[in-house]
Amino acid sequence: MIILANGNTTEIAQRTDDTEHLWVRVGDLPRATGWQMKPQGMCLGEMCVPLPDNKVEEWIADAEDWVWMCYSEFADMIGQRYARDGDVWSLGSVPAVRRSGLEIGIAPDFEVTERNGDTLRLSDFRGRKVVLFTWASW
Amino acid sequence: MSLPVWQELYESIGPDRFELISVAQDSGDPKAVGRWFDRASPTFRCVIDPTHQISSLFGWVNVPSAAWIDEEGTVVRSNEGTYPGESTVRFGLGKVRFGDDSFARATRDWIERGADSEHVWSSTQLAERLKPVDNDTRLAEATFKLALHFEAVGDSERALKHFAAAQVLAPDNWIYHRQGWTHRGALYAGLKVLMRSNYLQKNTDKSFYDPTGLPGEDYRRFTQPEWLWNPAVRRFKQLLRRQ
Repeated sequence: MIILANGNTTEIAQRTDDTEHLWVRVGDLPRATGWQMKPQGMCLGEMCVPLPDNKVEEWIADAEDWVWMCYSEFADMIGQRYARDGDVWSLGSVPAVRRSGLEIGIAPDFEVTERNGDTLRLSDFRGRKVVLFTWASW
Repeated sequence: MSLPVWQELYESIGPDRFELISVAQDSGDPKAVGRWFDRASPTFRCVIDPTHQISSLFGWVNVPSAAWIDEEGTVVRSNEGTYPGESTVRFGLGKVRFGDDSFARATRDWIERGADSEHVWSSTQLAERLKPVDNDTRLAEATFKLALHFEAVGDSERALKHFAAAQVLAPDNWIYHRQGWTHRGALYAGLKVLMRSNYLQKNTDKSFYDPTGLPGEDYRRFTQPEWLWNPAVRRFKQLLRRQ
């Protein structure tokens, strides 16, 4: 199964007894979705979303010798949209990220690879003015 | 192409005064995209972003776009249609001119005067100008990324299916249209852009790029193409008038 999220393509194991939902092994969550399961709930960077008590049993399952999380149900709860074709799941952006970032003027941070191979992180330029522009060959 | 113009601007303002980051929103062959960079011999930072992550993050729906980010990491301006000067694109038997230097002049002013520049936006002004994001827009984004994935793995049929779905869900997102059309060929995409933008300009109150509102803004929209035979047609019309 392939997950497209945050510009990354991640191949992860699939739960074979339920392919209707997007089940992700808890250990695979960070690299596949960016979210991490912690005692206080699901966390993305500084932001944590508690899991509803009545859903924990439904969304977290012990199956096929692994602990899985039903990510598609969680995504529905936080308003994250996804598109699917066969074994490929594409996750859209998380609404709360935009609300707590760009919508209040904070430049969304990102990490990309420059053409010369260097890693570029926008937040590394704090203290300097940055002009960021896009273009395309088309 | 605007990269050499950016290079000139970067050098004349002074590379020690700001970071200039250029991001190619291109799902095509990175080598082919890279050649555009190489031709311009840029000394600023160059990134290829095949999944259009940067446009998603900044909420841009067309290319080119740009943001000014101040020393604190605050976005103090964000626009689409940010050509640094006038460009000409030739295609087949015609050419189109677009862009002007108003964004370049404003950028210089901001680098030099910082928060005192009249072109700086408050966070409220920025929020007002951000494109609204609703459920369909978010689904369109996920669908577009699905299309890019299938394009990258060579599954053209599924790529076209999802490009089309994304275009229906977010009809005003030009990136989804243009990148999807490019899948069928550069000439096809170029002609579609011309036809669509001219149609919009004539028949609706929508524009290809949102106006930046900067002083001197002129060729914000695509102008009518100038075909190779236009001079001959003009001459013929003049002759007719004389008769």
